[in-house]
Amino acid sequence: MISSEIISAWVVVLLTLCIFSFLYKDNPFYKAAEHLFVGVSAGYVAVISFWQQVQPNLFGRLWPRRADVDDGSILQSIWYAIYEIFNSISTGFGLLDRSIFPEGGIKGFDEIRIIYMVPFILGIFMILRLVPKLGWLARWAIAYIVGMAAGLRFYGYLNSNVLNQIKASAVDFTSDWGTIINALIIFIGTISGLIYFFYSTEHKGVVGRLSRIGIYFLMIKFGASFGFAVMGRISLLIGRINDLKDYSAPEYNYATPIILVFIIICIAIWSFMGERNKNESTA
Amino acid sequence: MEAIKRLFILLGSLDRRIIFLIVGLSVLIPLLKPEWVRLPIRPRPESQIVFDEINKLNEGDKVLLSFEYGPSTKPEIHPMSIAILKHLYSKNIQVYGFALWPDGNFMSTEAFSEVSDDYEKKYGVDYVNMGFKPGAEAVVKGIAADIRALYTVDLKGTFINDIPMMKDVFNIEDFDFVFSLSAGFPGSTEWVQYACDPKNIPFSTGCTSIQVTDILPYVENGQIKGILAGMPGAAEYESLVDAELRKMDIAVKPGKASSMMAAQSIAHVVIVLFIIFGNITYFITRKKNGKDKI
Repeated sequence: MISSEIISAWVVVLLTLCIFSFLYKDNPFYKAAEHLFVGVSAGYVAVISFWQQVQPNLFGRLWPRRADVDDGSILQSIWYAIYEIFNSISTGFGLLDRSIFPEGGIKGFDEIRIIYMVPFILGIFMILRLVPKLGWLARWAIAYIVGMAAGLRFYGYLNSNVLNQIKASAVDFTSDWGTIINALIIFIGTISGLIYFFYSTEHKGVVGRLSRIGIYFLMIKFGASFGFAVMGRISLLIGRINDLKDYSAPEYNYATPIILVFIIICIAIWSFMGERNKNESTA
Repeated sequence: MEAIKRLFILLGSLDRRIIFLIVGLSVLIPLLKPEWVRLPIRPRPESQIVFDEINKLNEGDKVLLSFEYGPSTKPEIHPMSIAILKHLYSKNIQVYGFALWPDGNFMSTEAFSEVSDDYEKKYGVDYVNMGFKPGAEAVVKGIAADIRALYTVDLKGTFINDIPMMKDVFNIEDFDFVFSLSAGFPGSTEWVQYACDPKNIPFSTGCTSIQVTDILPYVENGQIKGILAGMPGAAEYESLVDAELRKMDIAVKPGKASSMMAAQSIAHVVIVLFIIFGNITYFITRKKNGKDKI
């Protein structure tokens, strides 16, 4: 009996081994898995972003359920007529079922927020990037994103990464000796590291010596980062190999050994054919 | 002596594929035969701080658990999620799952379904999964300011006002603790900068090994209460939680990270040996080439 669990296991094993096959050399199995990964990831992010953010938070604010906001005005009727136009477009003029724009508005909010037309229009501007003549409009949306992100990040960085870190690098001479020595090392490391990146003065004399100390601190940091990077990559390898081990069991119809042999044979044939073609072309 | 030098030069000229194979075997063998390599797991101070901070929480407290990882970093982070959930559930703490990564939805769903039934926890009463919202730091800022402005429904599509445990939760200040399961951007750094530092909410993290050196300055400074660093951090936390569960007479299922640590240690030894051999070979070759030139 082939269950969905067994099919999933075979897909997992096939894609894992396709990616691992790159360790031998670049080959069609690796390329296929890579393209599939990029395509599926992009598609998944696009769909989930639309249904988790755009539909409930943007359309939901512009057209909340009419029963919750109805004031009987003509303006509101016009507003919800626009909603129906969008619905007609999204359903292919009645060919598909309603999904993005449900009957009578979107449940969740209890007032119409017209201000949300601004992000709606900026979002459309962003898509207009695909139209060469109107592509320039995308700059407005990008300008908004850059400005908003810069403003948002400014406070966060200033508070958490600058002020709090400066505070932390101060030496408290009332502490015990161990703490004082640690704090002094951090202080010297911070100052010398900063001096290394100070290019307004030539790195000679005291500045040169301090920047040299800064290099040593930076090297220690890079070494630690490299060590942790190796540890992380090995952890991921362990995760994949552990899954391959689990899926080689009889309950998964020996997925790992069968697919492994299949890929090895295919790559061997592909390599052999490649070599032969190369020899023929050079001859 | 010449024979040893030749051996090192031979080792240095090994095909990279043979090295890949040896590293692969160093991982595979301890996984197939774990009884061959038994290494003790001793929690480091950073992991102990995380455990102590969570252990300090009281019954009924609210914890925001943020899932910022995907299948690519699952081996490192997922064991942490499971151990954290076991710890929180055993203390009857309410868990609020959020995701800053789209793949976080899968990870949170899997983690909740793996642990919740064992501890007889009910959805909407003991735990809730709010799911992913795109927007990175803007989402963190939104959760810090007003959750309802951002989330109208949970991951299952239930309206937020219909979820019993969301009744008194409006923003980050309604939580007693925040824990980020982080594999990159957006992640721990954004929680520090936009939510926990400005609102002064106790915050801790479990992250991938590659992030550790970037996060440690926050830990040293007390902006983050301890850190679970990669798979070793997960294994250490598992051992601490298992000991606590045994004390509470709760059945303990062995954690995944602990079972993988033997493979991790052996692979590290192999890589360190290759680095040493590589350097010795480099110096021997350089010296030899230098002599040839003379």
